[in-house]
Amino acid sequence: MAQIEIRDLGIDYRKPKSNEVFSAVDKVELSIEKGEFVTIVGSSGCGKSTLLMAVAGLVNLSRGSIKIDGKEVTGPGPDRAVVFQEASLLPWRSVRGNVKFGLEMQRWSGGDLNERAMQMIRLVGLGRFSDYHPHQLSGGMRQRVNIARALAVDPEVLLMDEPFGALDAQTREIMGTELLRIWERHKKTALFVTHDIDEAIFLADKIVVMGRNPGHIKEVIKVDLPRPRDEAILDSDDFHNLRKRLRAHLAEDMSSMQLVKEVA
Amino acid sequence: MADVTAETAATRQVSFASLRPSREAVVGTLAVLAFLVLWQVAPSMGWVNGRFTSRPTEVFFAAIDVFMKDDFLFHARISLTEFVAGFALAIVVSIPLGVLLGTSKIARYLIDPPLMALYIAPTLVLLPIMVIWLGIDMAPKIAVVFLGAVFPIVLNTMAGMSEADPRFLRMARSFGATKLDIFMRVLVPGSLPALLTGIRLAVGRAVLGVIVGELFVSQAGIGYQINLYGSAMRIDRLLVYVLIVSAFGYTLTILVRSVENKIRDWRSK
Amino acid sequence: MIAELFYRRQALILGTLSMIGLLVFWQIAVDAGLINPFFISTPSQVWTEFLAQFEDGQVAANLGATLYCFVWSMGLATVVGIVLGMLAGWFRDVESALEPFIWFKYSAPTVAFYPLFIAWLGYGTPTIIAIAFLFALTPIYANTLSGIKNIDRDLAKAARSFGAKPLDIFLQVALPGSVPVMMAGLRLGVGRALTGVVVAELFGANAGLGYAITYYGQLMQTTKMMVSIVIVILLGVILTQILSFLESKTDSWRVDSGR
Repeated sequence: MAQIEIRDLGIDYRKPKSNEVFSAVDKVELSIEKGEFVTIVGSSGCGKSTLLMAVAGLVNLSRGSIKIDGKEVTGPGPDRAVVFQEASLLPWRSVRGNVKFGLEMQRWSGGDLNERAMQMIRLVGLGRFSDYHPHQLSGGMRQRVNIARALAVDPEVLLMDEPFGALDAQTREIMGTELLRIWERHKKTALFVTHDIDEAIFLADKIVVMGRNPGHIKEVIKVDLPRPRDEAILDSDDFHNLRKRLRAHLAEDMSSMQLVKEVA
Repeated sequence: MADVTAETAATRQVSFASLRPSREAVVGTLAVLAFLVLWQVAPSMGWVNGRFTSRPTEVFFAAIDVFMKDDFLFHARISLTEFVAGFALAIVVSIPLGVLLGTSKIARYLIDPPLMALYIAPTLVLLPIMVIWLGIDMAPKIAVVFLGAVFPIVLNTMAGMSEADPRFLRMARSFGATKLDIFMRVLVPGSLPALLTGIRLAVGRAVLGVIVGELFVSQAGIGYQINLYGSAMRIDRLLVYVLIVSAFGYTLTILVRSVENKIRDWRSK
Repeated sequence: MIAELFYRRQALILGTLSMIGLLVFWQIAVDAGLINPFFISTPSQVWTEFLAQFEDGQVAANLGATLYCFVWSMGLATVVGIVLGMLAGWFRDVESALEPFIWFKYSAPTVAFYPLFIAWLGYGTPTIIAIAFLFALTPIYANTLSGIKNIDRDLAKAARSFGAKPLDIFLQVALPGSVPVMMAGLRLGVGRALTGVVVAELFGANAGLGYAITYYGQLMQTTKMMVSIVIVILLGVILTQILSFLESKTDSWRVDSGR
């Protein structure tokens, strides 16, 4: 059995003003093996973040089920950790204090919190900055702390919601390579949401392409590129082909998108 | 509710960083000097009646008088006691109240209107009633200091608690934080800046409370002296006392500001 | 349906409920002997007294006197505050020159100058207006200053790139952009002006709500005092609400910058 089993998932929302019900995602079926790095890609509004939040246990399901290692997901748990797009580092805590936060919340009993935190901080390459405060760090550094905090609680599954979306293009590239370096250490099962095609291919063992109205899975693509990966891979033929396929999917969705902000 | 915290823009940071006088400092100093010169010269030129305005030199000598011979410390101690007692009481009451009320949406909706009404209303207007309740000694003054300080602190603390960044809350939940965890580890520390703003606003009102209270009814204190010299038309001494109060309020505000600034550093993205 | 209505107007309903609840609590507490009516009277007594004072014209006279001073002081503070604020916001030197005085004014309790004003302007209306004017001036000046000074740099740059001259930028970018902050300053000023008027009336007036409070205070007539106190509180709330409403009207075109 796969580590993560998603069966017939449906999540509905009620629009606050008009009381209409619409489906953020519907009829989603997905299996993810232990240790797989899965990226979820799609245009805005395809429900990819919603899907991730559902696996995280932060959103209620309207239909279907999500099981991890056979156990149904009913809420957040120590087996999953989320890396959000905004680092949400508590401004009054230092880097170390922030990395300890998750451990404190989960009443970590696996040893000294400080040591564990420092381990993670060194892993993400911020060993010198453990006493710095968030306002002294760049965006990329803050996201590293974010990742360290998530890894510290030793989750079974690492969930990442466009973690590099707010960073500039160069930093994003660096962070992608960094993330893989960090990931190679423990090879945690990872679910990574992005709208950046290159990022989706570069990081993944498997790409889940989603479409909108309502959010659903269009295709699941296996990525057989060898690991470990570096930037050179971006120029390979295989990469180009995958890129073409994904572009085609996204182009379909573009044509149906509105450009004016809907007045809710 | 953030409008409670967005008070005036007298939010200028005092910077001791560069010792070289900035243009602002020079212009400011010149303006003050010009004013002082005008003030000194105006009575002799017949522009104003010197009895009503005094002059810088007279004020200066009066200051020496006051500090040496006028029982200044005695009066200062009384006013300070009234201020500290009222303010401390206000803090003890308002912080827990603000923290607890800020967490419940229903409590906020219930308590907000009467609190806002009382915050806007001139609580000094209750002075005469306070005198009826508490007599003419220190008590009514402590009471108006308390009333002046309590509302801005409660309201701002409540606002700080309720305006926590939802992304922080989501992050905490994702790690399995309980409601108590979120309260103690995210909401309360996060409301510190708002709390300090409330305290800064409260300081001004509290100082006002002591002085007006003493002007209204007292047998001693800085306000009492101000009243005394006002009635006796000793404007020079009156101004000395006014300057003392001003310096006191100024110092306190600067202190709170500097703490606020340190905290704001944490928040700058 | 009712539940929906409740959800939408939650704030208003709960707010009204709590006000009514307070009144009820007040009445009960006194009736039950928890509080001595001498100290705070009861809602019913206050209401009766209010009607009586209304009948014999006291309410009108006091309210009128207070409002007269309020309007004058608020008007003066608005004009002076906005003009000075604009000058200071636009010309750095003006701001620097005024800053020490503003700081002093901010720290010194204006009412302490009361005896001074009495000496200059005599007892009564002019002094009251002067004190309330100074009270209200600070937030109006400070907010106008901030509004003009902190114009959106990007908008100013865009205007300049189209060849706009400083006066144009002032009129087309700074002025409209500062309206929301200015309105907030006016809203704060309203509360302060009312405070200034009533507090000044406490000391030396022969008409007005503050005067009524002191007068009856000296006679230890709590109920009569409470009538004026309640009117003052209501006045403050109403005036501020009016300003808040105006403020929200000017806010509607604001674009949420960021998130």
